[in-house]
Amino acid sequence: MAVPQRSSGSRFTLAILLLTSVTLISLDARGYEPLANLRKATTAIIQPFRNIASTVFDPVADAWESLSEGDTLEKENALLREQLSELLEYRVTTEGAVEELAALRTQLDLENLGGQETIVAEITARSVSNFDPYIIEIGKGTQSGIREGMAVVSVGGLIGRIEDPGLRSSRVRLITDPNVNVGVLAVGTNEIGILSGGGVGQPLKVSDGIPVSTDVEIGSIMVTSGSERSPYPGGFAVGTILEIIVDEINLEKELVVAPTGQLENLEFVTVILYQPANSDSGGGRQ
Amino acid sequence: MTFLRVVKAGVVLVILLILQLELFASIRFFGVMPELMLGAAVASGWHGGPNDGAIMGFASGFLVDLYLASPMGLSALSYALIGYLLGIISELIAEDVERIVRTVISLVGIVLGLITFVLFGELIAEPNLYNKNFGKILVVGGLYTGLFIPVLHFLMEWVFHQSNYRNSQIAMARVQRN
Repeated sequence: MAVPQRSSGSRFTLAILLLTSVTLISLDARGYEPLANLRKATTAIIQPFRNIASTVFDPVADAWESLSEGDTLEKENALLREQLSELLEYRVTTEGAVEELAALRTQLDLENLGGQETIVAEITARSVSNFDPYIIEIGKGTQSGIREGMAVVSVGGLIGRIEDPGLRSSRVRLITDPNVNVGVLAVGTNEIGILSGGGVGQPLKVSDGIPVSTDVEIGSIMVTSGSERSPYPGGFAVGTILEIIVDEINLEKELVVAPTGQLENLEFVTVILYQPANSDSGGGRQ
Repeated sequence: MTFLRVVKAGVVLVILLILQLELFASIRFFGVMPELMLGAAVASGWHGGPNDGAIMGFASGFLVDLYLASPMGLSALSYALIGYLLGIISELIAEDVERIVRTVISLVGIVLGLITFVLFGELIAEPNLYNKNFGKILVVGGLYTGLFIPVLHFLMEWVFHQSNYRNSQIAMARVQRN
């Protein structure tokens, strides 16, 4: 093996590269538009190759998934049966909650929610990093009317929001990300709490905004508040309350919430083409 | 780097990137995928030396950054450093080092790369990279990527040494004929 000789030039090269990297980080953090455009352009160039590779490798990935997740599916099946029996027990309560939700929608003048424009998008990739498991990629982008911050729902309710939409693809940041905050309220109450993710496979938490006097019950449905500052349209189911912990120091209730939206084994999601009147494309995770 | 090397390096990096995004993002062990692009930075440092290792590390990190939610430049920064470091190490040790030693050093390089990525992320860019799965990612990710180290070294050898190899073969043939 021939090994090149090191020279002071290599240190200079490294210094230039490190400086470039730090500049890129700094510019990206400030939301520098040309850098975002460069990212979009480069990913657009690589995308056709990814599509070809996807066609080739999808069967392999599917086979691996079915092999590796056989046990998990059995456990999931058993868990689902258990949950089904529990749900049947709570059917009356749930029916009541649905009526309450309808009443709340009327109360908040959200009758036209069903009329929101939506677009169905196929999930093209799961997280492509070991360090950020809260991202999925969908095969629709700004060309289809998708914009930064739009709500993404699956069967059962809200699962995330659009982040960094490209021309023909977008990222979705899932609500299980601990950095994602969603304004929510329990059906039948007017108190808006801040719901945040608890990590992969963990329940969501509402640890701020629900006074101890608020009448919430285990099993109640939490919906998006639709308040003025919220990027999400109101009235979309987010989760059901699993546990209520009373914080006697702050006189607030901390709620442990199970997401209602299907987050695993998804093939398609629906993007709500809704942008609040005062929306900005700052890319925050609120 | 000559033009031919740049072209070969580009082809290898894009192929590895697509494999990482489309194949290995789905084929995970304990929820962890291999870090092929980091492996490429390590192998390029070994075969190209500190200068080309840093450049290749930067390029592979930059390609990864295009698809991550973490700030652009974070992987480029970490991978460039690791490529440079491996380049220096490769110069310090004997040329004909055993493959097993090369593999172990590459493995350590990958683990160092992951630590550097999270360290810089925590310090300057993304304060949520360090989480309870970090240990698992280091161990499983390091070993999983380790499976591909021979292939990555083979590819980087092709990028950096083919012309030298061909020349030496010609030279050897000349010597034998004499």
